[in-house]
Amino acid sequence: MLEIKNLNASVEDKAILNGIDLAIQAGEVHAIMGPNGSGKSTLANVLAGRDGYEVTGGSVAYNGRDLLDMAPEIRAREGVFLAFQYPVEIPGVTNLYLLKASINAIRKHRGEAELNAVAFLKLIKEKAALVKMSEEFLYRSVNEGFSGGEKKRNEILQMALLEPAFSVLDETDSGLDIDALRSVAEGVNQLRAADRAMLVVTHYQRLLEYIVPDFVHVMHAGKIVRSGDRSLALELEREGYGWADENEPPETAS
Amino acid sequence: MNAAAAHYLEQCRALEAAGALPGRDAGWLQAQRDAALQRFETVGLPSQRDEDWKYTSIRPLTVKPFRNTVANGDARAAQVTPAHIEAARIDGLQSHRLVFIDGLFAEEFSDAVDAIATVDSADSAKPSDSDGGAGITVAPLAGLLDKTPERIEHTLGTVAPRCSHGFTALNHAGARDGAVVLLEPGARPHRPVELLFINAAVDAFAQPRNLVVAGANSAVHLIERHISVGAHAAFTNSVTEIALGDGAQVDYHLIQASSAAAHHVCGVWARLARASRFSCRTVTVGGRLVRNDLGAELAGENAHCDLFGLYAAGGAQHVDNHTTVTHAAAHCGSCEIYKGVLDQRARAVFHGRIVVAEGAQKTDATQTNNNLLLSRGAEIDTKPQLEIYADDVKCAHGATVGQLDADALFYLRARGLGEAQARRMLTFAFANDILGRIENEELRAALSDTLTARLAGGDAVDGGIDAGIDGGGKNVDGGGGKIDAGARAASNRESS
Ligand SMILES: Nc1ncnc2c1ncn2[C@@H]1O[C@H](COP(=O)(O)OP(=O)(O)OP(=O)(O)O)[C@@H](O)[C@H]1O
Ligand SMILES: [Mg+2]
Repeated sequence: MLEIKNLNASVEDKAILNGIDLAIQAGEVHAIMGPNGSGKSTLANVLAGRDGYEVTGGSVAYNGRDLLDMAPEIRAREGVFLAFQYPVEIPGVTNLYLLKASINAIRKHRGEAELNAVAFLKLIKEKAALVKMSEEFLYRSVNEGFSGGEKKRNEILQMALLEPAFSVLDETDSGLDIDALRSVAEGVNQLRAADRAMLVVTHYQRLLEYIVPDFVHVMHAGKIVRSGDRSLALELEREGYGWADENEPPETAS
Repeated sequence: MNAAAAHYLEQCRALEAAGALPGRDAGWLQAQRDAALQRFETVGLPSQRDEDWKYTSIRPLTVKPFRNTVANGDARAAQVTPAHIEAARIDGLQSHRLVFIDGLFAEEFSDAVDAIATVDSADSAKPSDSDGGAGITVAPLAGLLDKTPERIEHTLGTVAPRCSHGFTALNHAGARDGAVVLLEPGARPHRPVELLFINAAVDAFAQPRNLVVAGANSAVHLIERHISVGAHAAFTNSVTEIALGDGAQVDYHLIQASSAAAHHVCGVWARLARASRFSCRTVTVGGRLVRNDLGAELAGENAHCDLFGLYAAGGAQHVDNHTTVTHAAAHCGSCEIYKGVLDQRARAVFHGRIVVAEGAQKTDATQTNNNLLLSRGAEIDTKPQLEIYADDVKCAHGATVGQLDADALFYLRARGLGEAQARRMLTFAFANDILGRIENEELRAALSDTLTARLAGGDAVDGGIDAGIDGGGKNVDGGGGKIDAGARAASNRESS
């Protein structure tokens, strides 16, 4: 589904991704862990097409097509979704309004009829219930005045509505209380399917107890320095990332 | 006196000579006109050498001689048809409406004046939901000055400052008509009063003069709208005076939506007596040169005024808002929020003055001016000016100038919205903050549609510019217009 080859990217002339190789097949969940500043969010942003991240080498193929060549909205419409580490507040635009514009943009892209107000409202209320979000949030400005946890939950609401084929969750678990973590994970797990894939960025192996990954990768200094199964997450939790500074990476796989 | 001033003086003189000015039997009015003429002869028209006109050139008003129109109902009817009036209607709005064409009352398009004018005390016995307009007079100024000038003898001309710029004097010297709205104490008509001013004739010079007197504890919604029929140039120089009695509440809306070739110099002056409340919303979406002088004087204790403004300008539009809030009494509050959206080569000026007089203790005044520059050619000059002569006051102000938030833009695009749509959504949200403060639902909806259309219209040009800049469909940060705000805003911060 997603094939990242030797991806290099820089921000303001500073090299941040230094040759990422990663292949994700449909149906898989991959987790990326790694110390602060190692480039996890940068990778997520590059995949979503954010301005200011210059790809200096390598390629990303999404279902065989050049992802990097697509405008951010085209990526979104093609089924790529980024749950932001820091969701943006947008005063004056209600959640409901954004979600409706969003799903209809995607439906239109797929050649489907736009949802009318009634159908949309019914659908969004179902999704809000699914991620255990009070309907009151639908009528508030996007993320404005939301608590940290509410923002994260709002990301998952969007994801549940848009049903993306490939999702990147950037520290969606950070700042969540136990119950929120559980319901967010439930929302995510609902979307697991043979034709979908996910890349989950997290610092905590706890999330991976709820969203069980097929692979765990360790990112360090803009590279994937280790890959393994979920036991790697447990090992990291015990031992930290100190080894990564001292040693050459033991192996690089994907 | 320069040629342009002489030209406009001549317009007034010609009307006077032709006996076309109303209320000729009222000596007090004649004295007022003479004083205004004299003042105009002394001060003339403002120039950019005047501090208050530094960023606004009145050249568009002087290179072309705008002229009085001939008072001829038939000629007017030919230009403005019932279809125009119908098209100008605000969907679903039930109002008492007076229509003026090039500054002259258009009876054929207005609600029956007599019916409104006479339903006062006799009608007040009716249940209020019938809303004939108990205790309210809505009448054209000329008619009222001809028949019963004494009704406004002690109010007309008492709110607008006598020493304001030449345009005010010009208006007072040569106004032919306008609207008078008188509310008896306690009158609270349900329906808003709508004053519709239409530019119709080519190069017409119109000088509407309006007066609103809200008796004690009365309440009214007023909508003053300026629109155009046709796209030709015109010049409207209007003055609206609003006197609020004790406990009165006036919700006033100034909607400027005339053609891109029409000019409007506009004075709105309100005086607030004890515990009265003046809520003013100014929405400027049309006009080539627009200059608004808005003054609110909090003259009695516990009065409060809200001044909300939105200007959305593109093309070569120039919109200048000069506001003055004068806290003359203690325990008053004022809240001012102006927002601007400027595209293409549009230019705007915001000058917000807050004066807190000696003795106006416990004043609570805030002022905000936020601007969104959508193109590199757009420009804003924003300047707060605080003059505080009392010591126990709360006074806050702030101005911002910026572009659309790149993070928000990306967030929307990452959710599948096209770039143009995302920009429109954010721009609309920014501006809609002001429209959201309009209580009248029908008016709010109509303005929201106008704004949406405007933003969609501006988009074509915007898209063209963007395509040129970004090439690869990547980075598009529309902004970067000249920003003059920061430095001046900062340097004026201590000006108390
Ligand atoms: N816009 C930017 N300008 C300058 N440096 C940047 C920018 N964005 C990211 N960086 C730098 O790139 C590096 C990687 O940042 P990134 O956000 O990808 O890290 P991360 O792995 O997500 O960290 P965390 O675990 O703290 O979220 C950091 O050193 C960061 O300071
Ligand atoms: Mg990060």
